[in-house]
Amino acid sequence: MKKWIAMVMCLLLALPLGAVAEEEKVVNILSWVGYIDDITLAAFEQETGIKVVWSPMDSIDNMLLKVTQGGGAEYDLILSSDYSLDILRKAGLLQKLDKEKLTNYDNLNPRFLSQTYDPDNEYVIPYVAGSPLIIYDPQKVPFEITGYADLWNEALVDSVAVMDNSRIICGIALKTMGKSFNETDPEVLAQMQEVLMPLYQNIRTFGDIESYTAVTTGEASVGFLFTSHLYMVQMDHPEFKVVYPKEGLGYGIDGFVIPQGAAHPDNAHTLLNYLMRPEVAAHNAETQYYMNVNSAAADYLSAIYLDSEVLNIPAETLEDAEFIEDVGETTDLYNQIYTAFKNQ
Amino acid sequence: MKRHGAGSLVFLSLVLLFMYLPIFVVVIYSFNDNPSRIPTAFTGWTTQWYAQLFTGRGGYADALWLSLRVALWSVAASCVVGTLGAVGMARKAGRASKLDSVMETGLTLPIMIPEIILGLAFMVVFNALGLRGNDLRLVLAHTTFCIPYVFLNVKSRLVGMDASVFDAARDLGASPARVLRDITLPLISPAIFSGAFLALAMSLDDFVISFFVYGVGEGTLPIKIYSSVKVGVSTQVNALCTLIIAAVFTIAALSRYAGALRRARQRRLNPGPNAVPAAARH
Repeated sequence: MKKWIAMVMCLLLALPLGAVAEEEKVVNILSWVGYIDDITLAAFEQETGIKVVWSPMDSIDNMLLKVTQGGGAEYDLILSSDYSLDILRKAGLLQKLDKEKLTNYDNLNPRFLSQTYDPDNEYVIPYVAGSPLIIYDPQKVPFEITGYADLWNEALVDSVAVMDNSRIICGIALKTMGKSFNETDPEVLAQMQEVLMPLYQNIRTFGDIESYTAVTTGEASVGFLFTSHLYMVQMDHPEFKVVYPKEGLGYGIDGFVIPQGAAHPDNAHTLLNYLMRPEVAAHNAETQYYMNVNSAAADYLSAIYLDSEVLNIPAETLEDAEFIEDVGETTDLYNQIYTAFKNQ
Repeated sequence: MKRHGAGSLVFLSLVLLFMYLPIFVVVIYSFNDNPSRIPTAFTGWTTQWYAQLFTGRGGYADALWLSLRVALWSVAASCVVGTLGAVGMARKAGRASKLDSVMETGLTLPIMIPEIILGLAFMVVFNALGLRGNDLRLVLAHTTFCIPYVFLNVKSRLVGMDASVFDAARDLGASPARVLRDITLPLISPAIFSGAFLALAMSLDDFVISFFVYGVGEGTLPIKIYSSVKVGVSTQVNALCTLIIAAVFTIAALSRYAGALRRARQRRLNPGPNAVPAAARH
């Protein structure tokens, strides 16, 4: 009971604080646990005296629901993926960045700016990027894999480990047909289902952790995985081959936004500016196993990192890479097809 | 006692193996020295994950404390509300008005509404009220969906009971409060306990409602674990599970021991009609 009274009193005490001009020394982030490591956060806290409070989210879908239903103003920064940031921006839930406070902004690689989710670079600071690729054991696969279509090859029965993601798996079927990852024509999607179905007999596992485990332990000879898992397989097995599928790459950027109504926007800017420092950005790209988006950070990256095809996709290969965009109501159709595919 | 055949023994061991092997693997892997983000091989023994549990932001212990704190407060609150509600409703049995049955349905509603809707509804209301503080928000939400478990358990126990017991107590001069304390509560306490344990499990297990309700800072344990999947679930989670399993086994063993002690004392004090006096055994 005492605790409750204390809490009510804290509440009353907290109210007038909002009126004070000086921000409380706190910055609240909503994202996946561990997406910025503890070393970086502790160093930032020590240097600036601003405490970072990390609020965990499990998935983009739940984050979107929470923030669009009015739960976003409690956070000063949200770190999430491209298309979800687009949804938040279009819903008018984001604050414009104050570039004056972001003195390290020019360190960012222009290749990762001016994207569809933020064409004028007003709202998003990119953090890391990645592209799902194919990785395989040349000892066990009797031919050279060059594209998504090879995953359908009869020689690969029960030996392909893939991520569990409806849009990307349906997307590679679309790509083999010469269509876009973001196709919305129901007729094309119906054809895609026909194309997709036979892939099932080659699939060994679905899921991020499951598929990483299957590929790295040799249970599966081919993996179609997200960047961080590809890099982990590569570290375990440097002899494995990485493929940039010839049909064209899928692509994703995770970035920061400041929600409308955030209580500590100044602190949020301070943290963003800190994260864009070359040595900090390099550390984060290395520890998160994702592509570095900071040009100035290149000098600080290790040789192992710079050697990885997974993390250093040539600019011309990325040129025509496609984002997975929000396709609105067509999402349901994708989910239906994917469910039918998985439940064969 | 009937002897068991070899077949049933084999069956029993298979079932036990099936149930406990995964738990055993979790426990063994909590000592795995492999620093990889997704450890696949067992590379050596270490206790570092147990130490890391208690280190600030990276540690999972804080999330566990929050989960436990919320569970205990909300179970306690739902026991009071649920029990009183059930006793009140049962007292009116037979002459319940329409309003009473509406209220009864209302009480059980929180476990029938999809969690995601309940979670969003709580979030919107708490935000509108300007209610901050994770503990309070979580306890209020959890209490709401814990009440039905206690209420339904106690109510069904009361329905099967002879109401004349309570009338007799009143007849003999006990005040309503005394009847509640000395007659009703002891009779329904098993139902309160079983309802409380169900509620405890539901509260500790809840992810969806907690995710929408919690504000800033450390989430409950399920939130933190689900959120770790992107970067890699730390071996700390194995260590935490091992500690929880150890605690549960210890509590279960202690409660069995206490139960055995109590029964032994009761037998000594109050031998039943079939009890054979010690002297007559020879």
